[in-house]
Amino acid sequence: MAVAYQRRLLTIEEYHQMIEAGILSEDERVELIRGEMIEMTPIGNRHAGCVRWLIRSFSSTFASRAIVDAQDPVSLGEQQSEPQPDIVLLRYREDCYRSQQPRPEDVLLVVEVADSSFIYDRDVKIPLYAEAGISEAWLVAFPSDSVFSYCDPSPAGYRKVRQYRRGDVITPQAFPDGSFAVDEILG
Amino acid sequence: MAVPMTKRRLLTADEFQRLAAQGFFPEDERLELIRGEIFEMSPIGDRHAVCVMLIEDMLADLRPKGIVSTQNPLRLSRQLSVPQPDVVLLRRRRDFQSRPPYPEDVFLVIEVAETSLVHDRDVKIPLYAENGIPEAWLVDLNSDTIFVFRRPSSRGYQVTREYRREDEISPEAFPEFRVSVRQILG
Repeated sequence: MAVAYQRRLLTIEEYHQMIEAGILSEDERVELIRGEMIEMTPIGNRHAGCVRWLIRSFSSTFASRAIVDAQDPVSLGEQQSEPQPDIVLLRYREDCYRSQQPRPEDVLLVVEVADSSFIYDRDVKIPLYAEAGISEAWLVAFPSDSVFSYCDPSPAGYRKVRQYRRGDVITPQAFPDGSFAVDEILG
Repeated sequence: MAVPMTKRRLLTADEFQRLAAQGFFPEDERLELIRGEIFEMSPIGDRHAVCVMLIEDMLADLRPKGIVSTQNPLRLSRQLSVPQPDVVLLRRRRDFQSRPPYPEDVFLVIEVAETSLVHDRDVKIPLYAENGIPEAWLVDLNSDTIFVFRRPSSRGYQVTREYRREDEISPEAFPEFRVSVRQILG
């Protein structure tokens, strides 16, 4: 039998209107993923600590060469998505993007920290970043005690994936001089 | 795709109706809130439309005891749902100007299914049962059958009966009022 019913997906504009209409409150942890409002998993201590460490290290390493964003929404218009990655490293702009929301091409690196959300992050969010053309993504995976790096985005996903384990050093593609010890990222 | 460890942010009936009142959704979209999620309703075919019209005309004989409401939202707040049943037979109330109809005002809900049988039977009928709506009819245009559901419970209707063209049905609330299935199915 033909499926007569379909979920009504939201556009980014409608999602914003829903926030403006007061349906979604500012402190609700919700992100728009492919037209659906998804509740984000609560952040545990280890996750929060890892994000703090990344903010501190990225900020001191990239000082005036990039802007470090933490848990702010990134609009991916074509994908009808507005995820809130744990960390976004943005191309440097004097005005800190006050006048314009960062676009996918402004993003140098996205980092997601995953404990219980590992499969969701890997199978849903990382492919979304690839489709949007975000040049590099890291997935800090507590369950496998490693960090995955994804490069070379295409509509079908990232073409290059590498797994970094304890003892390894990982370097963002955009800043070959900045390297981070996996041990320190994982804590 | 399996999406483990994630939950959709569900809407309440009040949130959904508030958005509708604000003109959030385009006027020409037929949307229902079902257990917190927004669904697009299938367009109404000719046979479905005629069937609803005939039912509406028949039930008009039940005035002034009841009000017939067609394809309007019905708030089922406990289940985060606002379906739009094809026909609702409501208790007449003087205060409908100031409050919308709630499940306790409903005598009978009727759904007409042309392409939506599975969804109506497995999703919407159980929803009406959970809300204590005393009776629901499902008019299946494919099998020329009317299914009558009674005795609502939190696990669905406890009594189901099938009626065919040669049969007559009465709403439980109006046993003296008899309609022939032929009149509805054509």
